[in-house]
Order: sequence, then C-alpha cells, then structure tokens
Amino acid sequence: MNPLDWIVLVGTLAFIVLYGVWKTRKVNTVESYLLGDRDLKWWTIGLSIMATQASAITFLSTPGQAFEDGMRFAQFYFGLPVAMVILAVFVLPIYYRLKVYTAYEYLEGRFDRKTRTLTAILFLIQRGLAAGLTIYAPAIILSTILEWELLWTVLIIGVLVIFYTVAGGTKAVSVTQKQQMIVILSGMVIAAIILMNKMPANVSFNDAVGVAGKMGKLNVVDFEFDLSNRYNFWSGMLGGVFLFLSYFGTDQSQVQRYLSGKSLTESRLGLLFNGIFKVPMQFLILFVGIMVFMFFQFTKPPLHFNNANVQKIYETSAANEYKALETKHDALFEEKQEAINTLITALQKEDEAIIATAQSKVKTLNEENKALRKEAKELILKAAPSAKVKDADYVFINFVVNYLPVGLVGLLLAVIFSAAMSSTASELNALATTTVVDIYRRSLVTDKDDRHYLNASKGFTVMWGLIALVFASTADLFENLIQAVNIVGSLFYGAILGIFAVAFFFKNVKSKAVFIAALIGELIVLIIFALNMYGYIEIAYLWLNMIGCVIVIVVSLLLQSIFRD
Amino acid sequence: MEIEKTDYKEEAPPIFSTWNQLYAFVLVFHALLITAFYFFTQAYS
Repeated sequence: MNPLDWIVLVGTLAFIVLYGVWKTRKVNTVESYLLGDRDLKWWTIGLSIMATQASAITFLSTPGQAFEDGMRFAQFYFGLPVAMVILAVFVLPIYYRLKVYTAYEYLEGRFDRKTRTLTAILFLIQRGLAAGLTIYAPAIILSTILEWELLWTVLIIGVLVIFYTVAGGTKAVSVTQKQQMIVILSGMVIAAIILMNKMPANVSFNDAVGVAGKMGKLNVVDFEFDLSNRYNFWSGMLGGVFLFLSYFGTDQSQVQRYLSGKSLTESRLGLLFNGIFKVPMQFLILFVGIMVFMFFQFTKPPLHFNNANVQKIYETSAANEYKALETKHDALFEEKQEAINTLITALQKEDEAIIATAQSKVKTLNEENKALRKEAKELILKAAPSAKVKDADYVFINFVVNYLPVGLVGLLLAVIFSAAMSSTASELNALATTTVVDIYRRSLVTDKDDRHYLNASKGFTVMWGLIALVFASTADLFENLIQAVNIVGSLFYGAILGIFAVAFFFKNVKSKAVFIAALIGELIVLIIFALNMYGYIEIAYLWLNMIGCVIVIVVSLLLQSIFRD
Repeated sequence: MEIEKTDYKEEAPPIFSTWNQLYAFVLVFHALLITAFYFFTQAYS
C-alpha cells in the first residue's frame, strides 16, 4: 500500500478514536457511562443507529450482491421505516416513562425479575458470540486482499474499539459513530463519483445505467407475490416490519443508542431519521455495486475475485485447467464488450429493433460468463476443498485496492474499518450494560456504590471485548463454529421477541405464564433445530425466529387462561 | 426492584405541528421513494 494511503487510513482511524476519548473524558458516573448522561441530539442518535446496523460486511457484501444479483436487495429494508414509526409511537414512550437502562429492565416492571434475567441471558449468549463474528467477517476478507495476517486485522479493529469503548462508554460509541458515518458516507459517495469517471470516454453515465438496466441489474422493486422469492416488495414489507421491530425494539445494542437521547423528542427524531435515510443509503451502496459491475464490463475483471484462491489453484495440478478457463473468460469478455458497445449505440439512437437484439446477446453472454465463473469455483473447490469460493464479498474491495487513486484507497479502507468498529462498539457497550444492569447489579452484587458499578462496567466491556477478540482470531479454525454462530441468533431471537410482544400487546398475561411459555418456546426451537440437524425434518433456520415468537405468545395466552391470576 | 417512573414531557416536533403529521410525512416519503424506485425499475428494464 502507498504511504499516502497509510497516512489517510491511520490518520482517519486515529482521529476518530482520539476524538471519542477526548469528548468523553468527563464521564465518571454509571449513568453517564451507560446512558451518556442522556444528552444526545437527534442527529447523533440517528447516525449512531445507522452505524450500529451497518457493519463492515454491509460495505463489502452489498456492492458484491448488486454485482451478482442486481438491486433487488433494497427491498429487504422496505419494512424499516414502518417499524421506526411503530417504535416511536408505542415502545419509546414506555422505555422513557420507566427510565430504564436496558430493554430487559422493562420486563421486570411488566413481569418479574426472573423473566428479565432469562431474556438478558438469552441476549448475552446471542450477541456475545455475534460480536466476535462482526470482527472476524471483515477481518478475514481484508487480511486476504491486503495479504496481512488475520491476527493483525482482528487486532486493529478489536483493540481500538475496546480502547475507546472502555474509556468513554456509550457516549464514546455514539460520538465516534457520528464521525464514522461521515467517513463511511463520504467514502461511498466519492467511490460512486470515481466509478462514473472511470467509464470509457464514449460511455456516458446515462449509457452505463441504460446498459445495466437492459442487463436486468436495476430491478429495485418487484411487486409480484412469490413466497419462494427472498427479496420482493411483500417479503420486505411484511417480513421486514417484524424483523426490524425485534431488532430495533428488543436488541440492547440498538435500544441503548436511542435511550441516550436528551429527551423523548430527540430519541423519536433519531429513529425517524433512520426511517428516512436508511433505504436511500442502501440504494446508494447497491448502486455503487452496479457501477462496479459496469466498470468491469469495460475493464477486464478476474475470472475469480479472491486472488488467494487463484494463487492456491496455480500451485495444484489443476492449474492448466484453470488457465484454460481464464483464456475462455478473456475471449468472452471481448465478445461481450463488442455486444455492449452495439447496445450503447442502439440506445443512443433509440433504435428499438437493434436494442432488442443486442440486449438478448448481452444477456446470453452474461449467462455464459456466470456459468464460467461457476465452473471456476467448482474447479477451485475440487483442487482445494477447504477454499471459500463465494467471491462476491471480494468484488468491491478488489476494485478499491486495484483501481482507486492513491489516497482514496486509504479512505475506503478507513470506511470498512470504521464500519467494523462502529457495530462492534455498540455490541460491546450493550453486552457490558446488560451484564452490569440486568445481572451483576440486580442479582449478584447489589449494594455497592456508583464508583464500583462504573469500574464493573469498564471491566465487563474489556471482558466481552477479549472474548470477541479470541473468537475472531481463532474462528477460521472452526468453520462449523461460524455457521453455528449464525444459527445462534435464530435460536434465541424468536423467544426474546415473543416475550416482548406479550409484554407490549397482551396486558392480561402475567409473569408465570410468560416465563414458562418462554422456556417451552425455547425448548421447542432447540428440538426443531436438533431434528433439522440430524435430518429428520428440513426447515430453514430463519423460520425459527417466527416459530419461537408465535409459540411464546400462544402458550402464554393458554397458560394465562389456566392460571387466571 | 421498583423501576423509577418519570413523567416525560410530550413536546411538539420541531417540524410540523403534531407528531402524527411527522409520522405521516415519514410514511408518505417512504411510499414516494418506493414509487420512484418502481419507475426507475420500469424505465431501465
């Protein structure tokens, strides 16, 4: 990497970290550490909420997803603004009235201590494991592409985050997230502008967008109701609302962001800010992916974007077979470029007949290219069975490292690191808060002074940070563990959402009924998971969220009708 | 443990005169955005 890129990368990250530590130097009570003295304004809350949700994987994977699959992923977020309004109307006033530190604290007032403790423990298990993955997932990609040791990328992200999160608590998380979001959004806008300027001289922005559309890449909205289609308007609006209600309403890493608002008004505005800007932001990230796709229609892309895999196969007996595929890929690129130029000329002349013919040819060649890329992946897998062949996550970072001008490479790497740090910081902060407020101060050590709980909060932040670091730096040794962590979320989220749904919407249900229902719901989810694992039934893990939630609600209502007290 | 209950002030939003109007703005903005995306999809398909 060029020295200027190093200066930009290190300078940006150092500025954000030092700014966070300096801004929070007066934090010296538990309330200021865990709730930031409740003095944040709406724009800080809004940016903080967005930064928490947008992890580094968002900026690595989403452009790659657009490259492979077009823009339909934008629909996944369509339920988010509706969820923000529902939370602002119904949930936020309850949290404010009860002046809670955590979402789970509310459950004690509504039910009892054991329900609160159970829900807090379910959250800690789920989020504690996920924090490691939030660091590991971008670290493995960055270490591969930059040819750094995995340990170094893990340490850069992890140690910096632990440092400022421990020093300044939730306020440090929020103020740094504001800076991080500024870096992230500026970086993505600059990347989009550079991409437009990197098109050939005879290809205007409108030509590039026109061709992308004709290749089926600008499929932002699909109103056709199809349950087997993962991303369409209906799945986004129906499934999305429930998903985002549970994530923003019950996950402490998000709840803590808006509870640190100066007033109910500021917190509400922060949520609505997210409701207005989140969908356009995802559109921008996906559009950058489309521009990368168009860039690689005029600049020859590699057959496979993960260069480490390519180097691996060059060292095996399948090298010649792979090189033959590369030769085919080169020829196909030339042929496709010619067809695309014909399509552009036809679009400029608005000649519908030639547009139709050229579009058909470009689409056919694109399908051939896809088939060739798939063949390459299969060959890599055959030669190196342990290789991870999904290379969509490497498309955007490949463009950044190889085609951006000096200085901007550093800025875009700062974008990725900032995104990783912002979501990890929220997770560590939420884990420490829940551990102290819902478990340690509530049930274990109940009679100490403020200074003791402040130190305990810092200690638990370090503890969760170290757990995340150890997991992230060893995760590549345990492939199945990563898959397990992805599943863990689905194993517990349903029961947590069910408990909160009963608390908010079924006022007649008491603690005994909901506690037993939560245990039954969790048990059934675990049984279904085990049956699925051993092949007795077949069910996608995501459905476990809904199953767990529905069981908790239904069993609570049944038990309450039996108990009647 | 008794959770402390506080009276919070229900202030008017900084823009629009009521919260319901602001919520409606967010939802209408979202509907218009989806409509714009739809025409974008149609225009370039």
